Amino acid sequence: MPIRDRVARLVAELPKEPQFPTQGRTLFVDLARRQTESAYTPRRIVETLLSGRGANMFYLYRLLDESLHPLHPDIPLIFGSGVLTGLVPSAARGNCTSWSPETGVILDSNVGDYFPSFLRMNGIDHLVLYGECPEWTLMLIREGRIEWHAAAPYVGLDNIDMRTRVQRDFGGVWARDMSMANITRAGENLVLTAGIMGGPKAIYARGAPGAKMGALKLKAIVTLGATKEFATAMPYKPYNREIAQKLLGTSVVKHALSVTGTPFLYKPSRLLGAMGTKNNQETTWTDGLDADHIDPYRPGMEGCFRCPVNCRPLNELTQDPGDRYGRGDGPEYVTLGKFGPNIGIERIEPVIRLNNICNDLGFDTASMGSAIAWAMELFQRGLITTADTGGLALNWGDAELVEGLLFMTAGREGFGNVLADSTRAVENGHYPAEALRYRMAVKGLMQSDPHDARILKAFALGLAVATRGMDHLRNRVTLEINAKINDDPAFKERLYGGPVSAAPNSYVDKERAVRACENMFAVGDSVGMCRFTTKLFNSPSLPGLEEFSAQIANVTGLSLSPSELDRIGLNVMGVERMINHRLGVRRKDDTLPDRWFDEPNPSGKYKGEHIDRAEFDALLSRFYSISNLTDEGVPVDSWRRELEATLAPSA
Amino acid sequence: MAVTVYLPAMLRPHAGGADALTIFTPVFTLADVIIALDRKVPGLAAQLEDAVYNFAVNDEMLLHGVQAHPVRDGDRVEIVPAISGG
Repeated sequence: MPIRDRVARLVAELPKEPQFPTQGRTLFVDLARRQTESAYTPRRIVETLLSGRGANMFYLYRLLDESLHPLHPDIPLIFGSGVLTGLVPSAARGNCTSWSPETGVILDSNVGDYFPSFLRMNGIDHLVLYGECPEWTLMLIREGRIEWHAAAPYVGLDNIDMRTRVQRDFGGVWARDMSMANITRAGENLVLTAGIMGGPKAIYARGAPGAKMGALKLKAIVTLGATKEFATAMPYKPYNREIAQKLLGTSVVKHALSVTGTPFLYKPSRLLGAMGTKNNQETTWTDGLDADHIDPYRPGMEGCFRCPVNCRPLNELTQDPGDRYGRGDGPEYVTLGKFGPNIGIERIEPVIRLNNICNDLGFDTASMGSAIAWAMELFQRGLITTADTGGLALNWGDAELVEGLLFMTAGREGFGNVLADSTRAVENGHYPAEALRYRMAVKGLMQSDPHDARILKAFALGLAVATRGMDHLRNRVTLEINAKINDDPAFKERLYGGPVSAAPNSYVDKERAVRACENMFAVGDSVGMCRFTTKLFNSPSLPGLEEFSAQIANVTGLSLSPSELDRIGLNVMGVERMINHRLGVRRKDDTLPDRWFDEPNPSGKYKGEHIDRAEFDALLSRFYSISNLTDEGVPVDSWRRELEATLAPSA
Repeated sequence: MAVTVYLPAMLRPHAGGADALTIFTPVFTLADVIIALDRKVPGLAAQLEDAVYNFAVNDEMLLHGVQAHPVRDGDRVEIVPAISGG
């Protein structure tokens, strides 16, 4: 059934009025015909999945035609903001969702900065885009109304120039009354490491959303309009103040996030011998990249819409205004890891510079850094040679080479065309099949996290079962590296709803911790809360289900208890697994790269540690069992039928 | 007996700006080290109760069994803030 028919059938079922205070519209946009329809997410869906990531999955479930391919214009690209996005401190986030051209499984990526909040200020909770624009197009949302603009003047622009030109042409002020989700040249060229930029650094990164948007010939979505006050069900600002105090009073925010940002994690990772190095051939690296080496280059911190934390470190390498990449935003820990140890760079300055280039070129630094590291290992092993690379010697630590590769990738030039295919380089005939043995990816997605998870079994399980592929932001039990929590079994039991072994390298009960995190984080994404300030990711004392429950009631009037929210988190995972099942995902795909099974960790206190296949398989079975999943990793029949009846009651 | 304890930047103001403190009194475990630190810098032990602080001994991160971890003459103890990242 063509997408227009699917949309028409769905819209006919949807309410035409808001279902609760503060709810915004879902706008269905036919890009080919420049036509829009609007409706509202049904209350039963919000009570099952919330909005943001959760309701995005409802729309994808209903509109996906898996007989097509991910870049087909009938496969929708869906933006959604959370139930609390734009209203609650640190809830500034939203997701974009589709079928990933990089991975072949769900694409679901999250961003902060201002765009998700400003979409809501324009009265829009979800934006469902489909069809190919007749020409390169910029979609402007002004005070809730859509205007179409030819994007020809912007084609070929990367993020820095794009932001300058769009602000000049449309007259708004970033972060005050203007926001944008845009692609760069990489997205235009369907590069599979291309994200959708949501700010100077903020990016819908994972799964190649930039390529998907490029395939629709949509260069940018710009919002214009003043921020507004929402008419909530009950007063919510007093409780906002409590949440803000809780955020700012939490030590990890006060001492680390607000001061330095996420690069703090580099040091404990390398000391542990868990720092992915040279495509995870090694697991520790120089102290020259510890966070304190960034201090001299950090002029200040930035933040997202109405977030009091301000955890984004700015950087300034030079005061020379002519040096385009001499200053910027970041790096986060992921970028530090992927463009430091993972490609063999030892000094902080080139890492910062490469970070700034990636922000301009619109790259998912996790996939981009991993694709380069993979290529370097293949070159090291002789699986590819200069005959394959256009004469380039892909040597570890060559920052100048990497800089050139980034620009070549954005333009799909020379060997950049190979890197632009990311995890699909073997499938597309660039590398021999043996190269897959060294690809650090699960479900076709390069690992997001610089951690080498051979030691931490909970991390490993999380990376294996994450629905969008190998990504820590879906379920990582970060507090496994927190010794005080490990040494307090009673507290740890309360935290995860049952006992979890204190030993990081034990498999015992780790499924319980991953389940708890996966539920919490799915709810966080669906209310719009930042992961860094969500309970269980950085701290046991940050806002979690209790706070979300209270503020959802204040804002929307919906009564969802913490345990009901926990169930919603499970539902989001369940629907994602149902969609993935339609895309061919099975138990065999909830696995890890061969290296972690077959090669022992080469350094540190846990030297020799690896993932035991039989232990892992048993851990996965226990995870499926407590997650109410079948042996193939999909919801058991009774739950599946229940979800199907909710998602498509007329089917 | 000498055990050197390295402090992260965020704790240095509590120790008069010092980036390291040396303990000369006999200590056998990290629990002893924390008590000795508190004698040198009153209030530091309370600061270290914060869950953000982990310990590394001779460049090895400790993820559990911290208080009872043995410490020997000449050891290098480092207090490492541990947060997540994305």
